[in-house]
Amino acid sequence: MGGGRRSAAPRIRTEGSEHVVTTALETEPEAPEPVPDEDEPAPRAVRAVALAVLRLLGALVVPIAAFFGLWLTFDWMRDADVNRFVLVAVAIAVGVGGVFLLYWAMNRTVDHLPERFREGVRPYVFVGPALVILGVFLVYPVINTIVVSFGDSQGEGFVGLENYEFVFTDESMLRAIRNTFGWVVVVPAVATSIGLAFATLADRLRRGEAVAKSLIFLPMAISFVGAAVTWRLIYSFRPEGFGTNIGLLNGIKMGLGMTPTPWLQERPWNNLLLMVIMIWMQTGFAMVVLSAAIKSIPDEIIEAARIDGASEMQVFWRITVPSIAPTIAVVVTYMVINAMKVFDIVFVIGSPETNQTEVIAERMIYWFIRNHDGRSGAIAVILFVLVIPIMIWNIRRFREQEATR
Amino acid sequence: MRLRRFMAVTAVLALFVAACGDDDDDGGDEGATDTEQEASGENTGRVNVLAAVEPEEAEVIQTVLDEHINADADYTAELEASGNFEEEVEIRAEGGTLDVILLPQPGAVIEHARSGRAISLEDMGFDIEELEAQFGEYLLSLGEYEGEHYGMPTNVNLKSMIWYPKQAFDEAGYEVPETWDELIALSDQIVEDGGTPWCVGFESEGSSGWPATDWMEDIMLRTAGPEVYDQWVNHEIPFNDPAVVTAGEYFGQIMFGEGYVLGGPEQTPSIAFGDAPGPMFQDPPGCWLHRQASFINAFFPEDAEAGVDYDWFPFPPIEQDGVLFAGELAVAFRDAPEIRDFLERFAGEEVQCAMGGEPGSARLSPNINVEPDCYANEILAESSEIVSEALANDTGRFDASDLMPSRVGAGSFWTGMLQYVQEGPDSLETVLDEIEASWPD
Repeated sequence: MGGGRRSAAPRIRTEGSEHVVTTALETEPEAPEPVPDEDEPAPRAVRAVALAVLRLLGALVVPIAAFFGLWLTFDWMRDADVNRFVLVAVAIAVGVGGVFLLYWAMNRTVDHLPERFREGVRPYVFVGPALVILGVFLVYPVINTIVVSFGDSQGEGFVGLENYEFVFTDESMLRAIRNTFGWVVVVPAVATSIGLAFATLADRLRRGEAVAKSLIFLPMAISFVGAAVTWRLIYSFRPEGFGTNIGLLNGIKMGLGMTPTPWLQERPWNNLLLMVIMIWMQTGFAMVVLSAAIKSIPDEIIEAARIDGASEMQVFWRITVPSIAPTIAVVVTYMVINAMKVFDIVFVIGSPETNQTEVIAERMIYWFIRNHDGRSGAIAVILFVLVIPIMIWNIRRFREQEATR
Repeated sequence: MRLRRFMAVTAVLALFVAACGDDDDDGGDEGATDTEQEASGENTGRVNVLAAVEPEEAEVIQTVLDEHINADADYTAELEASGNFEEEVEIRAEGGTLDVILLPQPGAVIEHARSGRAISLEDMGFDIEELEAQFGEYLLSLGEYEGEHYGMPTNVNLKSMIWYPKQAFDEAGYEVPETWDELIALSDQIVEDGGTPWCVGFESEGSSGWPATDWMEDIMLRTAGPEVYDQWVNHEIPFNDPAVVTAGEYFGQIMFGEGYVLGGPEQTPSIAFGDAPGPMFQDPPGCWLHRQASFINAFFPEDAEAGVDYDWFPFPPIEQDGVLFAGELAVAFRDAPEIRDFLERFAGEEVQCAMGGEPGSARLSPNINVEPDCYANEILAESSEIVSEALANDTGRFDASDLMPSRVGAGSFWTGMLQYVQEGPDSLETVLDEIEASWPD
């Protein structure tokens, strides 16, 4: 028990000093307080229990109150026949302001607790809701998905590893795994390289850096679905007799006197054409993040290198790249995860099976729609397992970085 | 720093709010229990009808709903057209926020009945015999699960139609074929005259391949007959049964015929089914024949005139004659008086007749009592007559792919047929074997 208290003690100090915005003045004098009645043994156990209860309460009150508050609001909004703008205003007021008020009120309530509990409870008030939300919306679904993945098409009867067997034997699934692997390798590599090149070159521009960067960043603002629809038109193909080819690519080809190509059916290259869409969208992101990193490299280092006679290529490879390596890692991780869960592009472009452009996430939705929860669940679990190593690597790298800071 | 952390927590909560918001938009479980309580009587005043229709068609339906239901009912029926119908139904069925859906796949009706989410017509107080008299026994039996009926027929379309450019066709001296052999002879004649007989397109975004399965079904119904057709649908014969192979070979006769298909068979999966008949209206026609259901004239050029620029003839008999049709069954997910009233009116003669007469509508009525003169034009009236007769005499059959389990009928059958036309005649057996293997146990 004493251990628990001791481990909480240092946290109290750091968290307390950070969170107490409203009560900073009131709490400050008691910070160095040495806790006077420490040596009575019986009350200590009672106090520990009380503290645990208070912490639990503190952690649960906000999410539960928020839930009921929102529920009531939604109930009211569903039945209310008022102006839509009023509804929106109320939704925003309750959703954002209400939550803010809840925290504020809880924080004030904690101030009224006996002094010895105050700072032991406060962190839980703030962290609790996040944990509850994580549990309800993340942990529970993950566990449920794993359970479903061992079930039959309705997600009920137990079928053992049958669904996993399907995942690793079905022709279409195997293609999906192969294609996803392609996405994970090609998209981050190409998008990061182009992004890095642009970032480096744009950095040298005397004028128009902002404009150039904005242009490349622009696709980022489009949704995957929107981008896919746009590119579907770019790749559009109509055989002879079915009207004019409106696709940009075929337009260029025909302008050069060649015959149009059914781009989206050119297996397996059509996969690359789909990846181009994601690359087009994500290059801007890579560029912006890397550009910021490049700008933070101290000029003295680069100047020193130049004075020492380094060529521009040497500066780039020996100084720029190593200096921004951590940022590159972040960008690549982000893209790997994005590529791994790509679905919208493949789905919107259409006919993944016929064109053999299946990817794992697309298969997951496919089997969900075809009423096979078991297979869908198994595919989801596979996807989840594939993401884990990247997450671990990411967290580890993050810790190392924190340690060296 | 402090502020930032605080903002982060607020942001998480904001997400929470958003998540709850979604939950409630799609109903969440609360919504479902609410409506269950209402079942016994209270009228919510709103009937949401989710359907897989194009926006134009949705507009037509809504007009009819406004004029013939909403005008005097104590509720408002709203049609919601969904571009990704299959996905949305699945998600909203689980979320419990569906009132009525118009399902083009009776197989899916059964799946919803099995899941316990759909409400049977018996439970809503409909008299099945009365309905059978209106829609024919066969159509009603399609939505039957464990002795109860879940699908109320609201719309049909005739599939066994071959369209042709009437004027040019007559001028060229061609004649409407009455048998399969004559159809092939006509196709050969067109090739000989330097034309291309067939326009074929199978692309349909998320549902690509269905027009190809229609071909198979039309042929299957005529080569093997309705009984074997039913066995095929119910998986009482395997998908790679010789009867199916034969049908596939007949289909191949058209698809792989030398110079038969505009653009070649391997292009057909990338031609949108709505674009496919386009070349028929060129001068001279880019193609002369197009097999597609009764709704396809909605995709014809606006200035094309029925009976002059185009006309149709029934898909010719092979071993025997048949009528293939498809349509929608309305399924209720909420037991409430306004839902019952809506179904009754929507499938009833008044609304159905009005629907047929609405300009821009290509919907045929499954209600046998709806007279041909309800329809806006001759083509609809004629095809409606054919369907009504087939329904009354139990000679017609519903689109097989819509009756099969969705992972075949809306999955491997679609993609299998596309694979067949792309890879050529030799792939037929492999394709059928694969579809057979995909059939759920």
